[in-house]
Amino acid sequence: MEVVKREKIFPVAFLRNVFLQPETSSLFMLFVLFAITAVLQKNFFEVKSIARNINSFAPLVLLAMGQAIVIISGGLDLSSGTALSLFTCVLTTVMKKGDPITGVYALVVTFLVAVGTGVVNGVGIGYLRIPPVIVTFATSYAWLGIALFLRPTPGGESVDWFKVFYNARAVEGFPDSVKLVGSYIPPALVLVLLGCLLWYVVSRTRTGRYIYAVGSNIESAYVSGIDTGKTQMFACILNAIFIFLAALFFVGQNQSGDARMGGPLTLKSIAAVVVGGIALTGGRGSVYLALVGALILGFVSKIIFFANIPNAYQTLTSGIIVIAAIAGPAYAALKREWR
Amino acid sequence: MVVLEAKNIKKHFGGVVALSDGNLRCQRGRITGLLGANGSGKSTMSKIIAGVYRPDGGEVWYKGRVVHYRNPSEARKDGIALVFQNLSLVPDLTVWQNVVLGVEKNRGIFLDDREAKDLTRRILQDLSPDLDIYRKVYELSPGEMQIVEIAKAISEEPELLILDEPTAALEQAQVRNLFRYMRTLAGKGVAIIFTSHRLWEVMEICSDVTIFRNGATVACIDFDKEEKDPEKIVSHITGEPQRASSLEYMSEEGVYDEVLFRAEVKSMRSGERKLKEASFELRRGEILGIGGLAGQGQNELLYALAGSYPGVRCEVELEGRRMRLQRPQDAIQHGILLVPGDRQQEGLFLEHSVYNNMIFPKLGFPKHPLVIPERHYKDECESIVKLLSIKTPSVDVPVSALSGGNQQKVVVGKWLSFDVKVLLLADPAKGVDIGAKRDLYEYIVHLARKRGVGVVLYASDNEELVQYTDRLLVMYEGQIVATLNKGEISDDTITAVSMRVR
Repeated sequence: MEVVKREKIFPVAFLRNVFLQPETSSLFMLFVLFAITAVLQKNFFEVKSIARNINSFAPLVLLAMGQAIVIISGGLDLSSGTALSLFTCVLTTVMKKGDPITGVYALVVTFLVAVGTGVVNGVGIGYLRIPPVIVTFATSYAWLGIALFLRPTPGGESVDWFKVFYNARAVEGFPDSVKLVGSYIPPALVLVLLGCLLWYVVSRTRTGRYIYAVGSNIESAYVSGIDTGKTQMFACILNAIFIFLAALFFVGQNQSGDARMGGPLTLKSIAAVVVGGIALTGGRGSVYLALVGALILGFVSKIIFFANIPNAYQTLTSGIIVIAAIAGPAYAALKREWR
Repeated sequence: MVVLEAKNIKKHFGGVVALSDGNLRCQRGRITGLLGANGSGKSTMSKIIAGVYRPDGGEVWYKGRVVHYRNPSEARKDGIALVFQNLSLVPDLTVWQNVVLGVEKNRGIFLDDREAKDLTRRILQDLSPDLDIYRKVYELSPGEMQIVEIAKAISEEPELLILDEPTAALEQAQVRNLFRYMRTLAGKGVAIIFTSHRLWEVMEICSDVTIFRNGATVACIDFDKEEKDPEKIVSHITGEPQRASSLEYMSEEGVYDEVLFRAEVKSMRSGERKLKEASFELRRGEILGIGGLAGQGQNELLYALAGSYPGVRCEVELEGRRMRLQRPQDAIQHGILLVPGDRQQEGLFLEHSVYNNMIFPKLGFPKHPLVIPERHYKDECESIVKLLSIKTPSVDVPVSALSGGNQQKVVVGKWLSFDVKVLLLADPAKGVDIGAKRDLYEYIVHLARKRGVGVVLYASDNEELVQYTDRLLVMYEGQIVATLNKGEISDDTITAVSMRVR
């Protein structure tokens, strides 16, 4: 008696349905911007420039995916940028140049710090039930304060092998085979894939399901016997791990820490989530869409760079493109509501 | 065998006594009806049994021992399942994800989705075989949501199932399915507690009823031993001696031949399914019913007439003047006033006072004075409260503190200071108890007959349509498919006409 009933759909109705999905419009936008960039940037398809593009997109992609998890769980993280700064400062404070083992210590210590920041945000949002904007606005200053205390000016030390997170070939003493792989697969891509894998595993477990449930309707989730506080805290910790991955990339790239570098990325990560088509109200949208959103924002700045737009108009132009990108999913949502 | 016995339960919230002497007894394999007006304590009783509230006094015996549950999950583990009236579903998850929500099973480190889907299909096969388990809950109709809610409670195989007004959102066919399923469950030895404001449902499905009034159990009637006497049950609920309906002006006297209102509604979108087209005439003083299966466009038609359904062209002729309604303001300014179906979402600002709710629609008028004439409005508001006998300590208390029936009176009341010409009512008695329902309808009939208001009434309960309407339009898939005149309106004909079209 196994009858699986799925609606049979006309091709026309089906296509219309597809176009009204928020995923479609953001993927379409990404494709268009990708094409424009490919035309404008002469050497776009060369291995080197692909690697360079991936490197420049990776930090925002990671931050946006973390941000998406928090937003889907019904929260919002205004502290993700300063958390990133803080992690770079912690990494470069623990590490001593020329002593490779300190790199391992730094990894462990910073990971614990990251989990700690997630717990603090999560307790505020999930257990104390303070509005997420307030909690994370306050903690963003706390993270900035600690980062400035550790590293008042940009600098610090990094072990040589940390370059593996940016460019595997630059590390001395690594076997050639590793360097060979590293020259084809950029480490930044590995970090992003690691993030995707992490979310894939979580999304197939109870916690992943509950993150959506809590974000969609916290009251219903609570009466269904879900520990809403724990769920929201877990979302914040996952976010912190994504930020941690981004911090590894930064220190690998710059070999130093900077208390002020992350700040502007906070709002960019939220914008990426929205551009990707994830609802700010929570519960709706796929985390992978944040990746799409971050890529859209990345291509926008590429296009502006290559299109020789005069300096004075660059910001305005990027603003207009972002509005267009947001309008797509918003229009689709409106259309669906009317039906 | 007695599964549950609650004795002398007391419960108060702040200074308000919700239960002063609640008694209830449930037996294996029997369906016990819980009756009472809104605020009589029956919901509180259900919630105490299910562990949502803790009683201030009295004892709850379950399977031979006294129990003290601290939260609903403890009661659930013990086999007591409560189907919430305010839904406990998560809108963005699918049907099957909701059914297993909170009790998911693992297979290795990942969730066992296949098992969850099988379980959901198995349960829904009996309850509603057409429901697609892959749909998101926010896409479902209220009736379908209620079914998912019930499926969720059943999935844990409870020994005591509490259904708190499960049929309010269901259409007749779904109610039949539910009743059949309840009987199957009872046959397996499950004890069921069932509440509903529709008397005929309780009389049909229950083997005994317990009646609550003002926080105390006033009667227990075992249908095996006593006959089913609806009049007697109603008099227990209201606390008044049996009386004949005072609707002597229900006769067609007072309905004029003059056409008050003519409407032509047409969807501007070809793919529109909910409301295609409809046109009708309404006479002065007439109560025109709209019936049919749930969700055939009745609500949408009323919203379109109130100027608040986008994508629909709505041409009307009111007292000889032709106009097109595009925005809610258009309708309100001409006296076409809507009492929406979902009063808590669309009819009221729950946290605001009765006074604020009543004056709010006035403020949008172009000629409204800059400074609000508080004194004048307050007097007006108080006279309306008196007129409709709204039970409230003062006009300054928030509407959320009022019972469902009184809230609905506020929604009607806020239009009374306007020049009402056409009153559109979308299921006004939903979730309103028997006494308040009668008051409300008597007032509506009065408005029509004495003030010459044209009333368009949609009700999900056919009984209300039979009792109160002069003429009835039956809708099917967004169109009017039949018109019944006074003599032809009965529960059977409505059901027949609603279904035959299929």
